[in-house]
Amino acid sequence: MTFSDDTLMAYADGELDPAERAAIETAMQADPAIAAAVARHRALRADVAAAFAGILDEPVPARLQPRTRAPAPASAPAPAPVASLAAAREARQAQDAHATRRRWSWPEWGALAAMLVVGVLAGKLAPGGAAPAIAGSGSQVVAQGELAVALDRQVGGGGHGGSGAGAGAVRIGVSFAARDGRYCRGFAMGSMAGLACRDGDRWRIPVLAEAEPEATGGYRQAGSALPPAVLDAIDARIAGKPLDAAGEAAAKARGWRPAP
Amino acid sequence: MLADDIAALLPRMRRFARALTYHREDADDLVQIAMERALGRSEQWEPGTRLDSWLFRIIKNAWIDEVRSRTRRADLFAPAEEGEHVGDDTAQAHQQRLALQKAISLLSEEHRLVVGLVLVDGLPYKEAADVLEIPVGTLTSRLARARDALQQLLADQTDKTRRTP
Repeated sequence: MTFSDDTLMAYADGELDPAERAAIETAMQADPAIAAAVARHRALRADVAAAFAGILDEPVPARLQPRTRAPAPASAPAPAPVASLAAAREARQAQDAHATRRRWSWPEWGALAAMLVVGVLAGKLAPGGAAPAIAGSGSQVVAQGELAVALDRQVGGGGHGGSGAGAGAVRIGVSFAARDGRYCRGFAMGSMAGLACRDGDRWRIPVLAEAEPEATGGYRQAGSALPPAVLDAIDARIAGKPLDAAGEAAAKARGWRPAP
Repeated sequence: MLADDIAALLPRMRRFARALTYHREDADDLVQIAMERALGRSEQWEPGTRLDSWLFRIIKNAWIDEVRSRTRRADLFAPAEEGEHVGDDTAQAHQQRLALQKAISLLSEEHRLVVGLVLVDGLPYKEAADVLEIPVGTLTSRLARARDALQQLLADQTDKTRRTP
């Protein structure tokens, strides 16, 4: 007896009635090809379910909760009704900008942010007590140690470090010339990801953010889960296309000084 | 209260949206849009019918109405090296999950919807067909084609990995 693949799929998905199930189970014992087809459908279903299972355990962002459960503080601007994804994104950014402006004037906010970022994040960048990878310099954050070395030396795209792939290893991502001619490089290190831009002999770090944990909670990729803040910073600066391997090598050879 | 029942379904809504959009922020934006719509027209939900199917239908419609762009960002960073953690089971399982999410993001919109409903969320065919407003027979054949396409994408990924030194 033969069954269509759709029927075997429906069996694997538990969609058949008892009589059909029994017929297929008999056929599976007689014909290994039928058993294999069913196993293939089951395996794909299990794999897909597993790939997304972790999302159920993630905390639900407050902005998604019905308002009656999470009323906005009276002082905060009321969230605008969402009409489109673009509008939602803009509203979120406008709200963030508003919150920043309201609390701090720029210079003091910058200095404070640098201190906080160094204090809070240095530990995440250098797990296990290695030398800190960033340092505060006035109101700016600059790379040092292993991060600075990786930014100076790693070329060739792909971002595999020459220094081994330990938890603290730096992965260099996209490199590009910014609109002002300076070179910038995206990087990920530990659970953090950021953007570093060449400023004289240093790598200044205009943005550093916690990388989005993958479904398992482990951070391993520089690829798919760059924090939106870093992507936005890249979008805002990039002039033209990212450098290819040859472009990176040439920029490195010039000490990452702007092309003449 | 209906708002509480809807809130209890938020984790599943986020998971379904992630199967459609791949990016976390886009998925949550989509859920937020769906929440606005659902709460704004809660009188349209018929008590006694499945609330989850109703919410998934709103997400589906919101997605079809609103999205369909923004893949550029995914290309900015090249995918990380393969094989860096060979021998580490956890890392391999992690890679497999990422590969599946990526492969699903490459499916057609129609196929992503059936995969999201049946394979990711585990809805019965009848409920999934109800969400998509199509007959069960159509759902079944669409799901079979989506699975074929997904298997093919996964096989292509494996080939690519093998060919990369």
